Amino acid sequence: MEVVENGGVNLKGLSKEMRHGRTAHNMSSSSLRKKSDLALVSKVRSGPLKNVLLNIQEVILGTKLSILFPAIPLAIVAKCYGFARIACYTGPTVGGLLNATCGNATELIVAIFALSQNNIALVKYSLLGSVISNLLLVLGTSLLCGGLVNLRQEQKYDRRQADMNLLMLFLALLCHLLPMLFHYSGVAEGVTTESSLQFSRAASVVMVIAYVAYLVFQLRTHRQLFEAPDENEEGGNNSEESVIGFWSGCAWLVGMAVSIAVLSEYVVQTIEAASNSWGLSVSFLSVILLPIVGNAAEHAGAIIFAFKNKLDISLGISLGSATQISMFVVPLCAIVAWILGIKMDLNFNLLETVSLALAIIITAFTLQDGTSHYMKGLVLFLCYIVIGACFFVQRTPSSEHNESNVSNMKLQSASGVYIA
Amino acid sequence: MFHMFSITVGGLLNATCGNITELVIAIFALSSNKVAVVKYSLLGSILSNLLLVLGTSLLCGGIANLGVEQKYDRRQGDVNSLMLLLGLLCYLLPVLYKYSAASAALTVDPSLHLSRASSIVMLIAYVVYIIFQLWTHRQLFEAEDEDTDENNGSDEQPVIGLWSAIAWLIGMTVFIALLSEYVVDTIEDASDSWGLSVSFLSLILLPIVGNAAEHAGAIIFAFKNKLDISLGVALGSATQIAMFVVPLCVIVAWIMGIKMDLNFNLLETGSVALAVIVTSFTLQDGTSHYMKGLVLLLCYIVIGACFFVQRTPFNQADVTNVMLKPDTNAVFSA
Repeated sequence: MEVVENGGVNLKGLSKEMRHGRTAHNMSSSSLRKKSDLALVSKVRSGPLKNVLLNIQEVILGTKLSILFPAIPLAIVAKCYGFARIACYTGPTVGGLLNATCGNATELIVAIFALSQNNIALVKYSLLGSVISNLLLVLGTSLLCGGLVNLRQEQKYDRRQADMNLLMLFLALLCHLLPMLFHYSGVAEGVTTESSLQFSRAASVVMVIAYVAYLVFQLRTHRQLFEAPDENEEGGNNSEESVIGFWSGCAWLVGMAVSIAVLSEYVVQTIEAASNSWGLSVSFLSVILLPIVGNAAEHAGAIIFAFKNKLDISLGISLGSATQISMFVVPLCAIVAWILGIKMDLNFNLLETVSLALAIIITAFTLQDGTSHYMKGLVLFLCYIVIGACFFVQRTPSSEHNESNVSNMKLQSASGVYIA
Repeated sequence: MFHMFSITVGGLLNATCGNITELVIAIFALSSNKVAVVKYSLLGSILSNLLLVLGTSLLCGGIANLGVEQKYDRRQGDVNSLMLLLGLLCYLLPVLYKYSAASAALTVDPSLHLSRASSIVMLIAYVVYIIFQLWTHRQLFEAEDEDTDENNGSDEQPVIGLWSAIAWLIGMTVFIALLSEYVVDTIEDASDSWGLSVSFLSLILLPIVGNAAEHAGAIIFAFKNKLDISLGVALGSATQIAMFVVPLCVIVAWIMGIKMDLNFNLLETGSVALAVIVTSFTLQDGTSHYMKGLVLLLCYIVIGACFFVQRTPFNQADVTNVMLKPDTNAVFSA
């Protein structure tokens, strides 16, 4: 309320306040706030990024009690806050990368917990669902919302960044497709399992190498491909002093990630009980629900940037996250499983692999011309709904699988055409 | 030879002479009734051209020209990608055909007829493509700095004449053909003694050795930032094998009375499908950098690893028509 009052007084200038004869305490506090408001207002004019900061700053200042609120909205706010803080220091590329990394740290932690309990199906499905959700849901809703808000404007982005991400995703698709095809080549089951495992481990090493090279490419040699076009505008904001420092921003991000990790452990332990009581299959929970909740922060960030017609950043968040999970988190889990002696291979079964393939192909086709409108976003979003419906209707067969909890999930189609 | 004709024709002749080796090996293998070796070596040649040769060229060219923007005319890549997709369709349909019926045995004859018809279609497409490339739309395939090259070329006098060069090419090809006969005869023994499956030898090792000359040429041109020529060599060779050599072998087998169809098994067809899709996607924007080449190369390594780990099974499957045994999880049971 004081902010609003001072906001009204602001326009009339300092001298009026002195004439109103406020106490020293009020004056100092009000003048302090007034100065910061002036500064903040001027920042808003110079860069829309600061608009987000202003909103979030007011939210944090006014809601110290929000720590008592559920962890999820706080996590979203803190992540956007932390990301915005760090992005104004390092530029959108590294900021987006850090945002995606912290978001995917959650997935990595869930995956390692699940691996330690030998719940390989959960690992595979949740990571796959995360990739599909980033490609179709996050990207689709960002393009949809951005398109609806900016109906009259032309929305452009640099397609070379999208091309590179999708190329990496195609390599990941190859590594998932080949072990799946092993099982259909008509040889004995034991032999294919062994071959599939060896191949998966080799392919995981290749994927990690590719991802490291991609990081070198993105951050060092071809950095200019990934910078947003209005970099100069962002550069002007760097000279301003942020309210909290760089390391505080990092500390917030790390703290939030740790709390989410603790919560994730509970999720992993209770997912089967939840599936029984809610009547949804574990595969639906892992592929659809878990990633939606897990990616909520990135999702919100991507939509916000799409509203402001900064599609490069939205694409960087969603595609970068998908690339990171498929080319780094998944092979890392396979290698960790190798070390732990658990037989995890890269064979996501037929339905999941084909969904992934179609998602990648459709996204590649959508992003190939460098412009966007709401219809593209709508189609991607509807693709996600269709894939979600597909996993929703597969109730009983998959939950029978998860009770047996085998390493290689055998394919059983829902209509029961499987003949032993 | 490049000085005599345009760069297009030179690249085409380069690819053709490289692929004559593959054609000669294939015909020898057919005459020994080793249809699996034919299929796998030709498929491996397509994979090696699309992923290995192209990947290493783009990678080396990208690293050598780090500060320079690397461009090429994407229309040439587009036409080649389109031809390869047609070829992919012709290879996919017989594979899927085998899964669509109640028993695999029923599908052998129709699959053979389908393969023979597709081969004729592919040959027609390739002949028209040659007309397109050398006659009506020649300008799509010329390198951009053709003029400067022509000026340099026409001023120099080649050391040996045109007919001497052609005579050398023919002589080398005959020599390689003789050596290829030995390769075909000994491939199974080599597989046993080295502990590698015949499919790995045919798919990976043989094409690497066979394409070595084209490979070196493509990398050299990429170093000089002449990506159009590298693409012409790599993609042109892949298109030639997919759309000319393979259908030609099917028709030659038809004449010889051997039952060769276009059913490369599921795993190989899946690999080629992904290779064609990844390459088409990579080349569609007209620029290049080293990361594109690295990803293509890593795709090739992954496919190589896939066939490396499959040791014993395919040795058992080395029969005339590699019969695909649908897994019990297939929709229709045997």
